[in-house]
Amino acid sequence: MKKRWLSVLLSAAMVAGTLTMAVPAQAEEGGEVQEITWMFWDDLEASEDNITKGFADVIDRFNTDYEGVYHVTPITTTLEEYYTQLNALVDAGQTPDVFIVSPGPNLDDYVLPGVAAPLDEYLEADGWKDTFSSDAVFAQQTYDGKIYAVPLNIAAACVFYNKEIFEEAGAEVPTTYDELLETCQKIKDAGYTPITISAGTAWCLSMLAGYLCDREGVDLDAVNSGEESWNNEKTVAAGEKLLELSQYFQETAAGDSNDDATAALYFEEAAILIQGSWAIGQMNGANPDFEEKCGVFQFPAIEGGNDPNRVIAKSDSLAMSSTTASPEACVALMKYFTDDEAQRYTAEVGGKIPVTNVEYDADAAPAQLADVMDIFNNATGTFGFYNESLVSSDAGSYFDNQMVKIFQKELTPEEAFQAVEDWYAENGYR
Amino acid sequence: MEKKKKKIKPSTILIYVFFIFMMVIYLAPVVWIAMTSLKTRAEIYKNPFAAPTVFHWENYKVAWEAGKLGIAMLNSLFVCVVTLVLTMLLGSMAAFAIGRMRWKLANAAMVYILIGMMIPVHCVLIPLFVRFANIGLSNNLWGLILPYLTFSLPTSVYIMTGFFRSIPNELLESACIDGCSIYKIFFQIALPLSRTGLFVTGLMTFIANWNELLLALVFISDGNKKTLPVALTKFVTPYQTNYDKMFPAIMIAIIPTIVVYTLFSNQIVDGLTTGAVKG
Amino acid sequence: MDKLLRNKTAIFIFVAPALILFTVVLFIPIGTSFYYALCTYDRTTRSYSFIGLGNFQKMLTDPNMRIALKNSLFFLLFSCISQLIMGLLLAGLLTNIKKGRNLFKNVIYMPCVLSSAALGLLWAFLFHAKVGINNLLANFGIKGPAWLYSTTGFITLPMWVIAFVALWQYVGQSMMLYMAQISGISKSLYEASYIDGATKAKAFRYITLPLIKPMVGTAMSLNAIGSLKFFDLIYSMLGDKTENLKMDVLATYLYRTGFSSKGGHHYGYASAIGIVLVILCLLATAIINRIFKTENYEM
Repeated sequence: MKKRWLSVLLSAAMVAGTLTMAVPAQAEEGGEVQEITWMFWDDLEASEDNITKGFADVIDRFNTDYEGVYHVTPITTTLEEYYTQLNALVDAGQTPDVFIVSPGPNLDDYVLPGVAAPLDEYLEADGWKDTFSSDAVFAQQTYDGKIYAVPLNIAAACVFYNKEIFEEAGAEVPTTYDELLETCQKIKDAGYTPITISAGTAWCLSMLAGYLCDREGVDLDAVNSGEESWNNEKTVAAGEKLLELSQYFQETAAGDSNDDATAALYFEEAAILIQGSWAIGQMNGANPDFEEKCGVFQFPAIEGGNDPNRVIAKSDSLAMSSTTASPEACVALMKYFTDDEAQRYTAEVGGKIPVTNVEYDADAAPAQLADVMDIFNNATGTFGFYNESLVSSDAGSYFDNQMVKIFQKELTPEEAFQAVEDWYAENGYR
Repeated sequence: MEKKKKKIKPSTILIYVFFIFMMVIYLAPVVWIAMTSLKTRAEIYKNPFAAPTVFHWENYKVAWEAGKLGIAMLNSLFVCVVTLVLTMLLGSMAAFAIGRMRWKLANAAMVYILIGMMIPVHCVLIPLFVRFANIGLSNNLWGLILPYLTFSLPTSVYIMTGFFRSIPNELLESACIDGCSIYKIFFQIALPLSRTGLFVTGLMTFIANWNELLLALVFISDGNKKTLPVALTKFVTPYQTNYDKMFPAIMIAIIPTIVVYTLFSNQIVDGLTTGAVKG
Repeated sequence: MDKLLRNKTAIFIFVAPALILFTVVLFIPIGTSFYYALCTYDRTTRSYSFIGLGNFQKMLTDPNMRIALKNSLFFLLFSCISQLIMGLLLAGLLTNIKKGRNLFKNVIYMPCVLSSAALGLLWAFLFHAKVGINNLLANFGIKGPAWLYSTTGFITLPMWVIAFVALWQYVGQSMMLYMAQISGISKSLYEASYIDGATKAKAFRYITLPLIKPMVGTAMSLNAIGSLKFFDLIYSMLGDKTENLKMDVLATYLYRTGFSSKGGHHYGYASAIGIVLVILCLLATAIINRIFKTENYEM
């Protein structure tokens, strides 16, 4: 009896022991190699996102090229938990050496307490900064004249549409909001879903709301600072238009995830999708026939409203920990993200706009990218996602949720924007 | 007796019809994921219930690699086996002291441990998360083992105490007369006599921790340290739902459990039920 | 013998590991949790400041908290009642058949040992707006309901759907508990009643039911605590959509408030939700024990 129990315990302990060894703990050999970590919000292997795949290549290239000198270990989470996990590491004094972060209130959280290091000396040291397409790409990453993060790509939110359905329905590419309504009606009459959108994933609906607000001429700085109330004529008009457009959404909009909504466009059930250019790779990958049928246009103007050539743009940026033991390794890694190969990939495969002056093969790039580039280059200005442009990330997600409530007809546009205003007051921003 | 034999009552037929219907409700989803896991994404979207035209076995390979399911499975196994061994050991040690040994605070210790059964893990999630982050236990499998162990202990102490108390006094006394030390009595007499209890507690501990999601989700962000349930959730992201990888991944996650369950279903069902009754 | 059993060193060695673990991993954190519940966490300075009962006051007017509480209580009631009825029904019917009993029992119990995360993904797909059951219905020209995204009604449709999925997954446990108890009832009791002319239904009503009453209490407490802690299925079926779909329960709301990138890091408020959860668990167990605490009949 004794032996049997001992052997059970022993073998269990042995299994446990071997397993500990089997769980890779990153072989720590030789003291020469400078180890750094890089934190990212998507799984490098499981993801089908082309930008993520490109980042995985960058990491592989870096580790191969610098073998024996530098080594980077990625830490990946889901987008949903990214900042929580990052904060936990920061609190524990284990800030990742390099980490991705969205410009706006999220970056504030790391720049203001001094977690992120200024990067100017590295950018200017050997002409790195000159490879970027303009100084303007650093605008959102600059605090008091110092640059705290390096942008990697720019995605522009545009309107994607199915040319065949438009033709069949006799619809024209709309340039104004009223024309958009007409177009939608024609498509509906032809038996297709006019607009496919996800209200289940709140930021998708919020992106449309952001465009409507901007076209109406909402002054974001004024409402953020309290000069103006969130509940004003322009925001309410935008909310009403959101409601008006919602009659043309697919029936399942409330429950569809972003993925479902995008699938409806590339499986040719719906005619219009308002989405960031990162969706290009996904659409073409899932249905290669769709590439040539897919057109892109600028979000329509609202008569009497704001400049119609403004575009929602979003960039991914890298920040460096101010406590990193090997800034050289970090800078070398960041340079790999902005070198020609990575940037060419960004354009040709990733479907995002490169941040450097790289030459890329326009034919290799997805057909839609040229249209997106046109829209972006002709833009008179860019603005961020509304949920990343408010006073805090909480404010952003509160805004998103109120837009969903307008769509669900739970709140009128006045009530919804008043709720945002009240939120600002309750949280001490008024 | 003889009369009964040939008579099949209509009520019995009804009962069988009912249970066959239940079987369909329980087995159809599993059969259906098995089928779906071999289809392409377009097939899944357009015709979710049709049988696959071509068997895409490569889905499994892709899901296995992309989801790092191999590592996830090893991690889950490591966490669960260590927790299991420690729970059985520490739990029965404490149970023996509380159930059989004579000291004033035995009852107080029992109450102290039983309070743990009432407390949901959610309540200590935040303090543990903050504390563990500070001492390097976040992103560390031991950071999962510690709370798993703690939350598995109350039931195991409770169940084992019952088993130890049912051991006849004479057995222990004769061992004592033979000159056994208290440790020998515990390891060589009490433990072997309470095998059933160990089996039951081990089973409960293993299954509960194998499926645990919340703690693992919060404490682990490193892709190389994720457990199986967490690895599954990454197939659903805000950007994409990879159905053609998700279904093979679900299959990979549940097949080992189903196989083990099918082989030992009677013991498992009875063991878990005993555990639930006692706990 | 007595001396051996009073060996202080041995007692210490046996009990200390468990007690230390309990204190460090459970009781100290609970204390911290109570303290955090009285604080607000500032994520730019990463510090806690004491605000007394502020978090609990905020709860009273927080519409999300009201939804989470409502949903959790619904889950609690639904699972207690439905598991009682279905569990008893299955157990009662199973004890009446011989052939196949084992198979039926094992199959129905199976989902209890499978991962909720995996099963949740499966059911989420089956109840998908277009591709699951609704695709099947569409083939017959029926427009399927908004299984997982309807937001109308006091208890919304998705809540019912998930409650039924939970019933599907866990009814095996209740069934087994009742079966264990029923098979423990002496045959002679039934035989005596049949001689007295009782029907099977009557025997069930007057013999089985009273004798399994204590087990109802046990099974129901398990259901109650399980349904209050309910997290895995909702998380894997709805992910981050719970807020806009008004599908939060206490556990998901706690998780969102504490750990989500959107609106997370409110450790103080999340701890306060945790405290509410513990209180509800204790209350539910106490009430159920009160109702079902009966003298044990001789069996």
